[in-house]
Amino acid sequence: MSPRRRQLLARLAGSFRGNLTATVGAAITLFVIVACSLGAALMPYGPDHADFLALLSPPSLSHPFGTDSFGRDVLTRVLYGARVSLVVSAAGIAIAAALGTSLGMISAYKGGGADVVLMRFADLLFAFPSFVLALFLMVVLGFGTINVSLAIALTYFPIFARLARNMTLLVREEPFVLAARLMAEPTPRILLREILPNIAAPLIVQATIGIAFGIVIEAGLSFIGVGVQPPTPSLGVIMADGREYFQRAPWVLTMTGVAISCALLGLNLFGDGLRDLMDPRLRQRAQQ
Amino acid sequence: MSTSAKDAIRRRTVLSAGAAVAAAGVLPLGLVRGAYGATGTLRAGIAGYNVINTLDPGKHSLIPEAYVIWALFNALLKFNEKMEVVPDLAESFSVKDRTTLAFKLRKGVKFHDGSELTADDVKFTIERLQSDKYASPNKGKVSAIQEVKILDPYSIEIVTKQAFAPLLAFLTNARTGTQIVPRKAVEAMGDDAFARQPIGTGAYKIKTWKANESVSLVAHDGYFVKGQPALASVEISLIAEESSGVTALKGGQIDLTSTAPFADVPALEQDKSIKILKQPGMNCRFISVNHRKPPFDDVHFRRAISMAFDRSAMVKVVLFGEGVPSHGLIPPSLAYAYDPKPRETAVFNAERAKAELAKSKYASGFGEIPCLTWGSSWWKRIVEVFALQVNQTLGTKFTVEVNEANTVFQRQKSGDFLASVWGWLGPVDPDEYVGEILSTKGWRNFYGYSNPKLDELAEQGRSELDLAKRGEIYKAAENIAIEDAAVLPCFCSNIHNLMTTQVQGFTQLPYSNFGDQFAAIRMG
Amino acid sequence: MAAPEREPSLGWLRRMYGGRKVAAPRSLAYFAGRLLGAVVTVLAGALVVYVVMKAAPGDPALAVLGENARPDAVAAFRHKHHLDEPFAEQFWTWLSGMLRGDFGLSLTIAGGIPISQLIAARLPITAFIGLYAVLIAVAVSLTMGTIAAVRRGRAADTIATSIAVLGISMPDFWLSYMLVFAFALGWRIFPAYGFVSPTESALGALYSGFLPALAIAAPMAAVFSRMLRTSLLEAASRECVVVARSFGFSARFVFLHYVFRNALIPYVTIIGLQIRYLLGGVVVIERIFGIQGLGSLMVDAAFARDYPTVLACTIVFLTIVLLVNLVVDLLCMALDPRRSA
Repeated sequence: MSPRRRQLLARLAGSFRGNLTATVGAAITLFVIVACSLGAALMPYGPDHADFLALLSPPSLSHPFGTDSFGRDVLTRVLYGARVSLVVSAAGIAIAAALGTSLGMISAYKGGGADVVLMRFADLLFAFPSFVLALFLMVVLGFGTINVSLAIALTYFPIFARLARNMTLLVREEPFVLAARLMAEPTPRILLREILPNIAAPLIVQATIGIAFGIVIEAGLSFIGVGVQPPTPSLGVIMADGREYFQRAPWVLTMTGVAISCALLGLNLFGDGLRDLMDPRLRQRAQQ
Repeated sequence: MSTSAKDAIRRRTVLSAGAAVAAAGVLPLGLVRGAYGATGTLRAGIAGYNVINTLDPGKHSLIPEAYVIWALFNALLKFNEKMEVVPDLAESFSVKDRTTLAFKLRKGVKFHDGSELTADDVKFTIERLQSDKYASPNKGKVSAIQEVKILDPYSIEIVTKQAFAPLLAFLTNARTGTQIVPRKAVEAMGDDAFARQPIGTGAYKIKTWKANESVSLVAHDGYFVKGQPALASVEISLIAEESSGVTALKGGQIDLTSTAPFADVPALEQDKSIKILKQPGMNCRFISVNHRKPPFDDVHFRRAISMAFDRSAMVKVVLFGEGVPSHGLIPPSLAYAYDPKPRETAVFNAERAKAELAKSKYASGFGEIPCLTWGSSWWKRIVEVFALQVNQTLGTKFTVEVNEANTVFQRQKSGDFLASVWGWLGPVDPDEYVGEILSTKGWRNFYGYSNPKLDELAEQGRSELDLAKRGEIYKAAENIAIEDAAVLPCFCSNIHNLMTTQVQGFTQLPYSNFGDQFAAIRMG
Repeated sequence: MAAPEREPSLGWLRRMYGGRKVAAPRSLAYFAGRLLGAVVTVLAGALVVYVVMKAAPGDPALAVLGENARPDAVAAFRHKHHLDEPFAEQFWTWLSGMLRGDFGLSLTIAGGIPISQLIAARLPITAFIGLYAVLIAVAVSLTMGTIAAVRRGRAADTIATSIAVLGISMPDFWLSYMLVFAFALGWRIFPAYGFVSPTESALGALYSGFLPALAIAAPMAAVFSRMLRTSLLEAASRECVVVARSFGFSARFVFLHYVFRNALIPYVTIIGLQIRYLLGGVVVIERIFGIQGLGSLMVDAAFARDYPTVLACTIVFLTIVLLVNLVVDLLCMALDPRRSA
């Protein structure tokens, strides 16, 4: 790890303590992650454990979120489902970040025709209503978990590409980059070692917010039946199922919605806090 | 839906409820459209569908299209409340010999354009359906007809190649496509224009049709039944989400729905402000399996699977109890052809299932078996609960594969599947269940099932004109098919219509009728 | 997206958009260039969508003819609608028609009806619901954002900021169900389903559109409030404000003329960014309430493989989004005190 990066991390950790938003957000996010990775295993039921004698039973001590139309424990399913939703969303955002950042950086650094084409393409994707784009992709690609990730990646890709490109344009002329160029360092090395660490902060924040975005997209797609498919539980799948008998067993949709809101709340707070921490202007003001 | 909000606003003025009263207070009464009156309009919702492609009976294929067509048109015959075939546009009919049906037409029946119905229109309707150029999806209903003879403007004879028992049912105002269209108007307008501005003899004629949104109908003054229709207009809204139909009805935005979500039925039955009609429907839901591919090429394997899931649990989970487990395809409401005795190979029996599996070629296991399904609702749940139970009983690896409905249908037709959920809603003749789904050449048989003994029985059933004998033939045919586990029948679901207490005169029929009842409806 | 556009922080907003080389003098030539770029983008978008649609499995004939379709009927349908012609020829036919302003006829979802008619019926609805939601969101956020900024760090700020974070964390379609449950089935104040087109009755549209507009507005209001709060705080810390105060201008005057006006630029920008959400992100809500919007049209058309309708929607979407972006830029220019002064 380069000294500069270590310094950045140390500074981050230092200011973290002072930032309530980021701390609360991180705590909630951590709780959500622990709950759905460990908590799910601790539940006495499996996500597919159907009890045909306890269909649609309301919330009780043994089933805090009640049961669904198969007599499955909704809390267990929500925990497993949150895991699926998180992974699907994170995978999509990871693809978008990797692809968007590298293309954005390269095109900004190299410039020229490729830059124009890439930015036009990003603009094109960015001009589409993203949910319609995602839905359209699902219709075209076919339903299913992997395609949801792909749809998220494609809709979020232009945001990373644009951000990375514009940040790179700024950093490109900085003295340390010029110095590296003068020392004839190879381009990939300059991009990875000099530029990337210096534009990483906004990208990380964007990724945090992006994961929240991805969860909502997944839920929306699955809610109308084109996303993740049963029997795999995802938050959207559980909500879609619950919607069908909402009037009879409102807890399934309601409780899942509450759970999803909690997860998103954590991610959003965390993202906000990170952004405040990393935005130099705000940080300056905070230090004044 | 255009009058709905205004109606609700009006309702609000009576109920004094906070902010809404303020809004209602400033609402000029002139905004409430003149045509709308307490008894003048029926607001009917088709729930769960929002696509209508055509209103030409010959071209129709989707159930929401049929719902509307039934109000606009009549056929020669119709079903009465006991599901007997009775005359409609025909005044009377008789079986002249084994291959000839004679019809006397009603006199003075007027189409919506004012022209009078004659025998020529009947001949035109049937020949149009038969023509290759017209390429009707309902061609099969009339392909047995050899000739339509016009004796005089009000008498015709329909001649078939061989005795064809289902013909009477196929000439009713059900999902048949044989509703009578006017020759002159169709020829003048062309098929495409007619599909959008249909002209029939029905109690209501079309006023406007907004794609994916609504169809407005107005009363046909020259309707041939005295005193009908009672209402001036019908507003049909297309409601994409089935559950939204209930919400709309409870919220006072519509008066009648075409279906109800199974889950809500018990609560709706308790609700005093809502009338609910229900009865076992004419439909069949089953898991279709591909006989051309392993593992379903082995009858023991098929039987094992068929006996490995509990159909009553399925009815509970998928239908919330709104249906009956089935052990054949013919539904109980086709009583003369329905055998109430459960067939063993379609009843849950874990021991026998395991024994059959042990006898099969695939006793040592077979990898993953994807089972196709579609939609966002209960079709998915059928497969989910099927896979769950069979895997639990036999240790097989059934998985759920979801596609669009069209894709699933296409893949079945092309044989690109192992297992899939499927079903038919609204067939009214046992031949449509047995002959078309199970016989070797049946056009609904995508599964490669073939048993000469069944084919022979299906052929007999088609030409047997005595109802009781015909019923026995189909019972025997189904015994064979289920013994072979040709398909794995699951259940037959109830059909429902919801309405406000004001709606009077809707008679529900098991094939899931709808628009044909508008003529008789009055708002009490 | 099923969630509104999030606000970037001010510093990044400037750097993201300021990073463009063409940023500074926004001349007529600049806007002409952008218009040209927009036209290219729209056409490229249509081509991409067309190629992707065609490459995807699915058959419009089956969508129309349904489960009972027989092969001869399918073949007849394909021939009639030129679906059996080569790809390039089909696209060219469509494109030349479109350039003459003719979107053609719907293939499946409203067989034979001119697509321009479909769009003309739905555009006012989408525009109405969108504007309605934006107005609600603006009204709420102007209040909440200003209070939070003025009372920075106090209880009111904390409450307003917390509500805002909650607002963006609830999926809008879930919120819709909760609203219907409470206000339509429980309290029976608003209709649970159905929407009166504003072309039929303005009051009916306002009334029946309230719940969906509220569900759409809630997350937007949250985003707007946060943006307004941040930009107000930033504007207040500027030197010009300190100078103006030292000249003895009243606090009210300074707030309105220096702080608020400066803060409006990012605020307007973020409102403009919502156009994508309002056009297409609200499809699920449209379904829940039975609103016949443009987004639903495109989705229904995509499901039914109604190629020309999907393409027409693509064109309309892209055009609106790019136009709105342009208008927002113009507005920001007009708002910039350095220019108008």
